Amino acid sequence: MKILVCIKQVPDMESKFKVDAGGTWYAKTDLAWRMNEYDEYAVEQAVQLKEQAKDADLTVLCIGSDQVKETMKKALAMGCDRGAHIADDNASGKEPFEIAGVIAEYAKGKNFDLIFTGMQSQDRGSAQVGVLVAEMLGLPSVSTVVHFAYEGGAVVAKRELEGGIKACVKVQAPVVITCQLGMNTPRYPTLPNIMKAKKKELLSTPVQDLLKVDARQETARMYFPEKKGGGLVLEGDMAEMADKLIKILKEKTAVLA
Amino acid sequence: MEFTREIYWNVGHGALTLVPMYLLAAIAIGLLVRGALQRIPLYKQGLPLNRTDQMGRRIAIMLENVLLQKKVTRVPWPGLLHGLFFWGFGLLVIGTTLIVIQADFTDLLFNVKFLKGTFYKLFSIVLDLAGLVCIVMLGGLLVRRYFFAPEGLETKKDDAIMHGLMFTILITGFIIEGSRMAVTEMGTPLAMWSPVGLIVANALSGLGQAGLLLLHKLTWWFHLLLVMGFFILIPLTKFRHILTTSSNYFFSDLGPKGKLVNLDLENEESETFGATNIKEMTWKDIFDADACTLCKRCQDRCPAFATGKPLSPMKVVNQLGETAFNNPEANLIEVVGKDVLWSCTTCLACQEICPAAIEHVGKIVELRRSMVLMEGEFPGEEVMTAMEATEVNGNPLGIGYAERGDWAEGLGIKSLADDAEVDVLFFVGCYGSFDKRNIAVAKSFVKLCQAAGVKVGILGKEEKCCGEPMRKMGNEYLYQSLAVENIEQIKAYGVKKIVTTCPHCYNTLAKDYRDLGLETPVEIYTVFLEQLIADGKLKIDATDLSCTYHDSCYLGRHNDIYEAGRNLIAAAGGKLVEMDKNRAEAFCCSAGGGRILAEEKIGERINIVRVKMAAETGASTLVSNCPFCLTMFEDGVKGAGVEESLRPKDIAEILAERIH
Repeated sequence: MKILVCIKQVPDMESKFKVDAGGTWYAKTDLAWRMNEYDEYAVEQAVQLKEQAKDADLTVLCIGSDQVKETMKKALAMGCDRGAHIADDNASGKEPFEIAGVIAEYAKGKNFDLIFTGMQSQDRGSAQVGVLVAEMLGLPSVSTVVHFAYEGGAVVAKRELEGGIKACVKVQAPVVITCQLGMNTPRYPTLPNIMKAKKKELLSTPVQDLLKVDARQETARMYFPEKKGGGLVLEGDMAEMADKLIKILKEKTAVLA
Repeated sequence: MEFTREIYWNVGHGALTLVPMYLLAAIAIGLLVRGALQRIPLYKQGLPLNRTDQMGRRIAIMLENVLLQKKVTRVPWPGLLHGLFFWGFGLLVIGTTLIVIQADFTDLLFNVKFLKGTFYKLFSIVLDLAGLVCIVMLGGLLVRRYFFAPEGLETKKDDAIMHGLMFTILITGFIIEGSRMAVTEMGTPLAMWSPVGLIVANALSGLGQAGLLLLHKLTWWFHLLLVMGFFILIPLTKFRHILTTSSNYFFSDLGPKGKLVNLDLENEESETFGATNIKEMTWKDIFDADACTLCKRCQDRCPAFATGKPLSPMKVVNQLGETAFNNPEANLIEVVGKDVLWSCTTCLACQEICPAAIEHVGKIVELRRSMVLMEGEFPGEEVMTAMEATEVNGNPLGIGYAERGDWAEGLGIKSLADDAEVDVLFFVGCYGSFDKRNIAVAKSFVKLCQAAGVKVGILGKEEKCCGEPMRKMGNEYLYQSLAVENIEQIKAYGVKKIVTTCPHCYNTLAKDYRDLGLETPVEIYTVFLEQLIADGKLKIDATDLSCTYHDSCYLGRHNDIYEAGRNLIAAAGGKLVEMDKNRAEAFCCSAGGGRILAEEKIGERINIVRVKMAAETGASTLVSNCPFCLTMFEDGVKGAGVEESLRPKDIAEILAERIH
């Protein structure tokens, strides 16, 4: 069995973000980097599948500068067999269609039985790459998966919908799965695995070799939301404040419909 | 008359006495030695550990603790009972040895007798009183164990054998003396030099000469057999502590106190880290179980045990021994239990009080290391999250690393990146940098330094967590990664002195970091400020303050720093009312051992128990010297319902409010 998991290195969301000089993305200074949270669920699920299938090979793919290799090593330490680094110093300048194009070009002809990605990235949040890759490869895709099971060539998955409802989906491999919070608890890499990961294959391919599609959209501007109103402090006795609060919740929000 | 006695009187001087006596002694001692040697291969199942360096120092520690019974008598009841019993018995052993020396050596070969005259009078009365003291002390110990046993004291068959045998030996000793005196010493001036024997002699006098001679002879041989039995039983019962506990003083950890063993992570050959099997623990870890006499002083002081967690340090130590002896293939994590292992706060109360010099904490951390490094297991998801946050942002709170120096904005100090010419590097720590309540303490410290004319610098966003909570949780790899980076930064700036307001950072930088190459001197703020005041550089106004003082584990037991904080309180005008459990007996706040990262889910909350102890003093301020303690007490006063009457404060804050 051949499995591919695609991950992205993103800034930690606790970082203080600033808009970069070009005004279309965030500045890269003073940021702490980590694996995209949704991709952690993808890696965990891919490793679990590999453990279940016993005779499986799991590749982790990541697009970015040399910096992203740190994050790839974590995926290798969690259990991936080899890394495919797509060297690109301007990954953040590419839009989801281009990213999907690069991945699809990489995956073309390799006959992966399963491709896992995170549901979306924590920085761009387009939620398009996984599904686009499936379309480009002519494969079915199931997104927002919160439960995954594999039995003899068939995937049984649960998708999370609004209001906590889940949709049960059954599909034959090969298929692309995008992963959502709640799917699993990503494992903490053990030290022997961290040490083995240092020796696993991690090949770099220049992005130009794989980018065969054109961008279809561009980022016009990125900016912080303008400050409108300030906070409102309610005062008065408990009962009064409760009434005021209920009124605000009813009129200004959808919390008490 | 001559003040002496005939050795072997009535029993016989000839071969009929001496041959069986020496034969039995040889057999008994042979069995004793064999029994002791048989245990050695069991200890050797563990990994090697060098505890024979600095011989002189080791021997001194052993003599001090064995002969002076220092650690044993630290808890006077029942410690003094044991101490007096030991000294009494020691005197009896010396007495018997002197008799052997005269009877089988000086008298036999050179016709020299020294057990006579004044020396014999002294000899006689000292041994009589020693025997009496032994009987009374043993009686006290027996009554305590069998009639007034404190909760948690385990009494086994061993104990009955030991009490019974010792009593019988002592009593038969006096019967032998009494029956002899009844025949040879009545009405002589010598008799009063054996007062106890005299009482026994008077009691036995009704037996008549023939009866007394028979009683004496029979009891003499019975007494001999009992003592031979005692020798044989030493390796087979708790009596072995005579050898093992004494040796354990010799094999002590010579320090630095409480320092964990550094794991060699460079070694590419290592396949396992931490311990799951007894063979992965050291021989000392197995030997400690043999040195344990189940006195439960450790258990009595364990904050986890006291609040309903399943951890008993005594039990853990003994489970390791049992596994080594009965089931060496067993998985230690399963034998001891995960909840047990995660409950430890590394407060060191167990090791501090242990009269057998057992090292409890290192064993627990070694087992934690295998859970974390080999299985990726933690006590809860919140701990894994904290570990990952530390990997990403260099602090377990998960706050952006770039903001680490922001707390100091506007204080007039710079990070070393901007100005490395400083008197001291203030290593702030994660809580001082990011936690609102503790930022106030960091600011207070800076204010005090500036008032004293000390130029302070911080690493700011170049500082990372010291790694201590991670290390104590078992994550040696993450700890070493953090440490190496911190050390590199500190060295790069040529820092000459480091001061910290966190005892955990202090302990880690001052001890653990030495294994990884840090040589810079490190000081804790209380000692630093104390010196500034003593030098006249920092002037503090004394204004009234009703307070009690909590000795943090990592300044207190881990570093024996108890007085600095108290001196600062005195300088600030504090009226200090001590809690019952203070200094080395202080009760942990619960956040040590990496548990600051974890949720407390079992039993009573330790921090609330400690806050209640503080509230009992009637003081209005609970002064502490550690950010973990301050955090736990702020939470604890709410939980205990005393937030209106008891305010937790750090000593730095108190001083900063009183700068002259």
